[in-house]
Amino acid sequence: MKFHWFNLMPWPYLPDDFREKHRSVWVDVDSRLYDPVKGHRVYNDYLDMLEFAADLGYDGIGVNEHHQNAYGMMPSPQLMAATLARRTQDVSILLLGQSIAYYNPPTRVAEEMAMLDVMSGGRLISGFPVGTSMDGNYAVGTNPATLREQYQEAHDLIKKAWAEPDVFTWNGKYHKLRYVNIWPRPIQSPSPPIWIPGGGSIETWDFCAANNYNYSYLSFSGYLRAEQLMKGFWQRMEELGQEFNPYQGAFAQQICVAENMAEAQRLYEPHVRYFFERCLHVYPGFADAPGYRTEATMRAGLMSQVSGQAGGSAVAHELSWDELVKRGFILAGSPDDVAEQAEQMSEKLRVGHIVCLLHMGDMPLDKTLYNTEMFATRVMPRLRPLWSEYEDKWSPHPLPKDDMATPRAVPGRRLEPGKFLQPAPAGTAGGGA
Amino acid sequence: MPDLQTITVQPSGLETHYYRAGNGPPLLYLHHMLGMVGWEPALDELSQSFDVIAPFHPGWGPAKDQLPEVATNLDIVLHYVDFLDALGLDAVHIAGISIGAWMAAEFAAIVPGRVQRLVLVNPIGIWDEQAQGVDPFAQSPARPTAVLFSRPELRASLLIGDRDPMEAGISELLDLRAAAKFMWPIPDKGIAQRLPRIKAPTLVVTSERDSVVLAPLGEQWRAGIAGAKLTTLPAAGHLAELEQPAAFAALVRAWVAEGKIAQPQVAAATA
Repeated sequence: MKFHWFNLMPWPYLPDDFREKHRSVWVDVDSRLYDPVKGHRVYNDYLDMLEFAADLGYDGIGVNEHHQNAYGMMPSPQLMAATLARRTQDVSILLLGQSIAYYNPPTRVAEEMAMLDVMSGGRLISGFPVGTSMDGNYAVGTNPATLREQYQEAHDLIKKAWAEPDVFTWNGKYHKLRYVNIWPRPIQSPSPPIWIPGGGSIETWDFCAANNYNYSYLSFSGYLRAEQLMKGFWQRMEELGQEFNPYQGAFAQQICVAENMAEAQRLYEPHVRYFFERCLHVYPGFADAPGYRTEATMRAGLMSQVSGQAGGSAVAHELSWDELVKRGFILAGSPDDVAEQAEQMSEKLRVGHIVCLLHMGDMPLDKTLYNTEMFATRVMPRLRPLWSEYEDKWSPHPLPKDDMATPRAVPGRRLEPGKFLQPAPAGTAGGGA
Repeated sequence: MPDLQTITVQPSGLETHYYRAGNGPPLLYLHHMLGMVGWEPALDELSQSFDVIAPFHPGWGPAKDQLPEVATNLDIVLHYVDFLDALGLDAVHIAGISIGAWMAAEFAAIVPGRVQRLVLVNPIGIWDEQAQGVDPFAQSPARPTAVLFSRPELRASLLIGDRDPMEAGISELLDLRAAAKFMWPIPDKGIAQRLPRIKAPTLVVTSERDSVVLAPLGEQWRAGIAGAKLTTLPAAGHLAELEQPAAFAALVRAWVAEGKIAQPQVAAATA
């Protein structure tokens, strides 16, 4: 089993009465709640967390894209991936992902991904989400009636731009380019591994099968609620003649590790609540533009990625800590508790890649590093052997050591593994990253 | 009640679904964002004075799967040129409402010789920062079209009726999807610049309680079309022909038949 450290980079200073005073964390969220001076430290703390996770042996470190919101502050995941590429080695850069339908021309995405793959020495995983309705339709202005068609064209163009050695023309419906010939080209040929983050959309499953892509289910409702959906995915793969391989699936899961359950609750509950109560407070009118879900998906009763999330959060923020654990929204407790829950998750979902959400909401730096290191040192080793009989075909193929550049040493790196484990950090609630 | 008919138009080959009934000069009715709830009472009323022809636009209702075939206002205009050709009709009166009023105005601007008299009710297509109205596409999925009515509860009685709620909800979202294709994210595709091309005597109507197309926009439509008149339909929301069928039909009939503006007798709204 493989583990990727990921956080959304939420804004950690939303007020206590955010739900009451504001209709949405997304699209029309009040920009006066953002403070760029505090934002400076927030970004640097978040990047420190990712670099710290790389030092601890996580397989990947992940970034993604959202717009006009306090839920996840990475309008450009490439910028984040670029700094991580320079300050880490060995670890995969999981860019999950760039919403390719938003960009004109999409060759810009092909260029930036190629730059990242070259800068990182072939460590890039390229995620191609359709994107949420809040981001794509309401913030970026993409037409929901044509979003999926634009996505398909952008995908085809990017793939060809990476792989085709000769100059070619692109006479598409949405893009017309007389000369396509991107420089640089990615190290990984014909392309970096491609992961498709999504909710429950039948079209997405078929697309993954047809192209042999990884399907990443980024729910925040936990593994128990995901079981039916992932069953549907694997069943569809079988129907389409795909040989089962757990590494074709990824799942995002919130995880809270401490010495025992009481300690986990004391340390993490305020931040879990901040996430469910404030970060997922999306105005329903922005969750699902008409046309964003296809008719087939509507008929199958499947929700879009984020209306699913919003649906989950509508439950989650009313649940007790015990219920959140029992229903699988979070894996929590002692290292043994968490490992047992993770084994159950693995059995139910049959996925080889876990996107570990060890920072939630407004969790501060010290607690996040503690959680990150507890999981890496006391849970991960027990889970490592799971699915080891399968070959992971969806991870990067970096350059051999001899070809890898050694970036100039980073002076004064302030966060060393080990120093956050003892003693457990004080349970200060809130107050930012 | 007339049956839904189908005719294949050329050269596109698109099957076009339409109602047709009544006696008198031909009147083309172009529907709003939510298509038609069958042969609506307003159409029935108009059929007493006109040969009413009421097609579903490509992409709406039974033509939902045709949405990929049309991308722009010009595609719609050409489709209706083909449709009139297929029916053997040269010039017609047109009454359009909501997005249908926009299509009617585009048609009248691009092929003015084929339009006799024109009625534009709650027309979409002119954008004014100061009179934006609510966003019809940013509504709760549980009742996505309630905002199109003067009172939200009218959605259940006038639109959903006794249909299966799941099916009705899906068809609502599919009709909104079709409207979004032309209106997203701001419904301004340049009709304001083309309005001076309209030759047909035109009546512009705005509904008093329309929260999507605000009343001040009516004056901009009137001012853009030479000789156009403007009037208000009291009590109705955006979907005026559903809420006030008699008053809607009276306005259309008086303008098309006599060039007059009817004083609407507004019915007490029923929920």
